[in-house]
Amino acid sequence: MKKILYVAQREFIATAGTKAFIFGILVTPLVIGVLILLIPWMSRQDPPAIAGTVAVIDPTGQVTAGLAAFLEPARIERRRQEAYQRIQDAMPSALRSAGGMSGPGAAAGQEAAGSMLGKVPHLTVVSLEPGADVNTAKETLTSPAAREGAAGRLALVVVHPDAVQKKSGAGRFGTYDLFVRAKLDDRVIEEIDDGVRDAIVGARVGRAGLDRAQIEDLTTVPKASSKTVTAEGEGRTNEILNQLIPMALMGLLLMSVLMSGQYLLTTTVEEKSNRVVEVLLSAVSPMELMVGKIFGQFAVGLLVLALYLGLGLIALLSFASLGLLDPTLIVFLVVFYLLAYFSVGAFMAAVGSAVNEMREAQGLMTPVMVIVMIPWFLWMPISRDPNSVLAVVLSFVPPISNFVIMLRLASSTPPPAWQTLLSIAVGAAGVYASLWFAARVFRIGLLMYGKPPNVATLVRWARTG
Amino acid sequence: MPDAIVLRGLTKTFGETIAVRDLDLVVPQGALYGVIGPNGAGKTTTIRMILSILLPDRGELSVLGRKSAMEAKDRIGYLPEERGLYRRMRVGQFLAYMARLKNADGAGLGARIRSWLERVDLGGVELKRCEELSKGMQQKVQFLAAIVHRPDLLILDEPFSGLDPVNQRLLRELVDEEHRRGATVLFSTHVMALAEQLCDHVVMIHRGDKVLDDEIGAIRARYDPRNLLFEPLDPAADVASLARLDGVGLVRKDGAAWDIRLAPAASPASVIQRVAAAIPPARVELRRPSLEDVFIAIVRDASAGDDDATLRAAVRDNGDGRREPRP
Repeated sequence: MKKILYVAQREFIATAGTKAFIFGILVTPLVIGVLILLIPWMSRQDPPAIAGTVAVIDPTGQVTAGLAAFLEPARIERRRQEAYQRIQDAMPSALRSAGGMSGPGAAAGQEAAGSMLGKVPHLTVVSLEPGADVNTAKETLTSPAAREGAAGRLALVVVHPDAVQKKSGAGRFGTYDLFVRAKLDDRVIEEIDDGVRDAIVGARVGRAGLDRAQIEDLTTVPKASSKTVTAEGEGRTNEILNQLIPMALMGLLLMSVLMSGQYLLTTTVEEKSNRVVEVLLSAVSPMELMVGKIFGQFAVGLLVLALYLGLGLIALLSFASLGLLDPTLIVFLVVFYLLAYFSVGAFMAAVGSAVNEMREAQGLMTPVMVIVMIPWFLWMPISRDPNSVLAVVLSFVPPISNFVIMLRLASSTPPPAWQTLLSIAVGAAGVYASLWFAARVFRIGLLMYGKPPNVATLVRWARTG
Repeated sequence: MPDAIVLRGLTKTFGETIAVRDLDLVVPQGALYGVIGPNGAGKTTTIRMILSILLPDRGELSVLGRKSAMEAKDRIGYLPEERGLYRRMRVGQFLAYMARLKNADGAGLGARIRSWLERVDLGGVELKRCEELSKGMQQKVQFLAAIVHRPDLLILDEPFSGLDPVNQRLLRELVDEEHRRGATVLFSTHVMALAEQLCDHVVMIHRGDKVLDDEIGAIRARYDPRNLLFEPLDPAADVASLARLDGVGLVRKDGAAWDIRLAPAASPASVIQRVAAAIPPARVELRRPSLEDVFIAIVRDASAGDDDATLRAAVRDNGDGRREPRP
């Protein structure tokens, strides 16, 4: 037992004590955090606002004025403010505070949103003769002079003659064509596009003798956000976090299992390929070595799990949304990490012992990887319908069961207790089978050099071992 | 006092190949045994079975009085032929780790490791990573890993392969030291000359069979020398004429010297007297059979396909003629 602990200890230090590990595990989140702060700042340092003219050929004579009004910088600015307000109202409070969009952070948040849309463009609308030649007008878009300065031509709008009034006998209104110069900012194109359509609608409404403001009033209903009713009272439904938490928990589980499993594979292959393994086998039995290594990497995975879970909890705490996470889920997370890791990890150790170098391991690893990734691919259907036949069946297929049941437990409709218990039992059986297989392959594989084995060879070793 | 190693009818096969066949071997405590034979003879397989790294198909064994080396692992030191280190680990840490795995992590382990490192001219490398050492230095560290826990039984598989002459000598001293301390030493080598210099008892394995198991002295006596090495004082002397002497068989030139075969039943003592009386010698002596000669004599019949030169090449220092099939 003492030897197993020594092996585990060495395995842990050799993995978690490397610069690569510390960098990957600790520094990466830090870098992401810094980037989140830096990117808005950097994108604020953007080039000056776009300026230029939009030419309009308007046979109806009723669209140009509306478009010019729509594209006034002050109007663009006001529309942006309103859109921003709508987003903010629709957003759950937790996320709003996360983005620093209330209190003193609000201004910064608004600025960030502004920088995403770009600076307000200065667009001048130029009306061309209704009968002007479209091809000549288009040429202005390609001439080099068109690109320069406030007089540069950015776009050409050709309103169809029947855009405001239907041709007699026609079922539909006409529309318009929009030609733009090469490399024009897509946000400006969208602005112009919106403006033309708005102006046409305005003209149609006016022509029909209706009051546009009244129509807008009549057709606007502010969206209500649902409130979740629980025993503790009612709170705003947190649709986003409700979906994020199950996914985050399963992702965390998957990440720590694959990460520590991968490390286990790497260190086993390394020990074998640098021939230290026979020295070790003179001191410990293959079983002690394997179990020690598995435990060492178990601790590595647990460290990763704890670190990221801790970060997540801190994040939830700062959003004042800690209540969303049921503490029993954390217990389940550890339980299923244990089951998932031991079944996947033992297999990794077996593969590591059987091959001569990492390259040869890839072929044997692919099936395992595909199997383990299944719950990830099926995340959507399972979390949408956590008690579907698919979800229930997969809850009893190790090693997928561990991931699937975790997703279901964290979902809005957790599975019945008997399913959870059965899943744990099935997971434990999977661990036993995996360890049994691994122990036999490991003992034979460690001293076997030469032709890289395939899955059939491993099975043969397990049967004869 | 029980014997250090007892093997009874040990057999191991890998697929169609019989690596070791019906091997009996007794190594008394405190002995220094050499297991010799060309590469592929079955030496490593035998050693791995002694250490329970491989399990025999048939046969019984006891190691340090236990049914399996598993139960005595902490008292055994092992230097495998395919030896490695953790490349990224520091030398001191590696040795301490190996000592701990052998349950020898008592007080003063650090000091003991430092003094061992100094003993092999590696003072001050304790904090270096293993990968920073030269190959020769790594081999010394590997040897220290085998003896750092002061084992009662030291098993060395081809310990001298790849070492330069200076380090070979150092290693021989260290092995001798362990032997004098009271450890039983069993080592394997395909270089017969080394076994001859180092051990007092050799076990010869050829193609999985034990073909010889005896004291060096006894082996020499058994393979009774029937040849004389002769160098005349006067280089112009007619040495060939010695063939006419009573008791002399064949006389032929062998490099700068002459080789004189004794006639059957002739006594070496009387022939030496007669030869020396006929032509004054600069040097006359009985050719002592080397282990290599003994090996050739033993296996000549069994290896119809191999000529003497091939066999000799396989048991010399650079004789890497055949690689051992890895189990």
